[in-house]
Amino acid sequence: MFLLRKEFRQIVRNPFMIRAIIAVPILQMLILVPAVTFEIKRIDLAVIDNDHSPSSRELLARLSGSSFFRITATPVNIDEAEALLFSGDADMALIIPGDFSEGLAGITRPRLQVLADAVNATSAQLSWSYLTSVVRDFNRDIVIGKGAATAGISAAGSHQASIPGIGVASRFWYNPTLNYKYYMLPGVLVILITAIGLMMTGLNLVREKEVGTIEQINVTPVRKWELIASKVVPFFIIGLLDLALGLSIGWLAFNIPFEGSLLLFFGCASIFLVAVLGLALFFSTMASTQQQFLFIAFFFVMIFILMSGIFTPTESMPVWAQQFNWVNPVAYLMRINRMVMLKGSGFADIARDMGMLSLLAIAFIIMAIRAYRKRA
Amino acid sequence: MTEIKKVIEVKGLVKRFGSFVANDHLTFDVYKGEIFGFLGANGAGKTTAIRILCGLSRPTSGTVTVAGIDAGRPEEIKKRIGYMSQRFSLYDDLTVNENIELYGGIYGMTMKEIRHRRAELLTRLSFSQYGDTLIGSLPLGLKQKLAFAVAVFHDPEIVFLDEPTSGVDPITRRQFWEMIYETASRGITVFVTTHYMDEAEYCDRVTIMSEGSIVALDSPAALRDRYNTATIEELFVKIARPKTETA
Repeated sequence: MFLLRKEFRQIVRNPFMIRAIIAVPILQMLILVPAVTFEIKRIDLAVIDNDHSPSSRELLARLSGSSFFRITATPVNIDEAEALLFSGDADMALIIPGDFSEGLAGITRPRLQVLADAVNATSAQLSWSYLTSVVRDFNRDIVIGKGAATAGISAAGSHQASIPGIGVASRFWYNPTLNYKYYMLPGVLVILITAIGLMMTGLNLVREKEVGTIEQINVTPVRKWELIASKVVPFFIIGLLDLALGLSIGWLAFNIPFEGSLLLFFGCASIFLVAVLGLALFFSTMASTQQQFLFIAFFFVMIFILMSGIFTPTESMPVWAQQFNWVNPVAYLMRINRMVMLKGSGFADIARDMGMLSLLAIAFIIMAIRAYRKRA
Repeated sequence: MTEIKKVIEVKGLVKRFGSFVANDHLTFDVYKGEIFGFLGANGAGKTTAIRILCGLSRPTSGTVTVAGIDAGRPEEIKKRIGYMSQRFSLYDDLTVNENIELYGGIYGMTMKEIRHRRAELLTRLSFSQYGDTLIGSLPLGLKQKLAFAVAVFHDPEIVFLDEPTSGVDPITRRQFWEMIYETASRGITVFVTTHYMDEAEYCDRVTIMSEGSIVALDSPAALRDRYNTATIEELFVKIARPKTETA
């Protein structure tokens, strides 16, 4: 097919394209995977220690000994601590009252006060749970050491931390070390092929409109499906190549486990690519310049990715958002990728998502073919 | 003239864009092998009409037949015509050979046929040394000549040229017209729009459009006689001035 040969020649001849095809997956994987993490490390803690006892020092040593906290300031009073929180110099303030060690000795009930900067609710929540877990450990050791349940301390902030009556032994499955890279990597792969598939294909078509070459093609008897195939096939192949490249980087750089079937993984990615390429063609029929296309594509890609569950679980989104995800191809592949890569899910486990993704792919391609006119 | 076959028949062609009438009841015929000139100021409706004839656009009303096929079946028309627009439209990032191969292939020629005819064509144009040159690095005049050669590479019945010589130097324009004559002598009808009035003199018949309507249609000599002017340019200024300006 002559048109297809033309597309390949143009791609191979375009140094920008070649560079983009190789550099985009490498950069995206190496930057996004380690950078986008929910792990909070090095929480800046301001401490007011009104007790100055061995016990309070022991608690502080434990906090600064963990990789999560570092004590960056020791303000003298609450006002000063509040100022630090306000200026952002501290993420959290811990106030140890003067009667802390007396409390531990069982005379009063010991209390800690914690103030957290909750502008970023997620990080505040996480910092809070790290802190309480350190306090809980500290507590337990004292309880065991003294054999007195009454000697526990509780932190009074927005939450209450008390000694758990029932010991919960948790074991995290599929990602036992709770490594965020493992969680992010399958998602970043989805972003990668979304960006490659949608942007490159759409821009290619719109560029032909801008330059005027598409008009020359439109006035030939070439069939519409041939024209569309010639645009879709090269970028489909590029998408899969980049996916393979991205996955290899995952293996080499992050040592990501791959539990499932590679065939299934690439099969699902192929269906996804068809859907994305269909969308790219559809968007390109609405745009007459590359800027217009970028605006449309960027708008949708952003929504698709943010709602896909890459950062936040879709289950905790409002119902309407979950319903939106019915037509969000990114959400399906996000789920499929994580299941196949981390859980080793088989065909039966992801059949429903795969089916829905296939329906979307068919729908988008039909939309593109219908919207595409051999006029201009 | 009754012996000669009509290759384009247009009756009462109207094309509206909203309330704007781009083509207002055009009626004309084009005969096989003639060079048919379509003249008019910018915005007179030339491009709109040519796009309808090429199947790139649909008429609002009226009947249009091109190469014996009704405008309602544009894909059939497209098989029988060649087209070259004012915007240069070969691929800059492909070589001369590759561009010819692409268009030959689209029109259903085999690789063998393409190679054979391509060699012949490049020799005729003395372009042989440019076969592997990227189109983008050729001067505009060469590009335009090549675009025309590609538009008739598959031996269409009619070739439509939409302002093919705009922005080209006089020598290249001259050579371009020699190519047009040569093409017409092969029996290919040439339908050309232009706003260079001297070029109108080279046509067998010319149509002058103004504000969407045809104001004159005949051979250049007959038109000059009828309106008693020395050149088509003079004639054009006389009859094709938009009403809004004369009022």
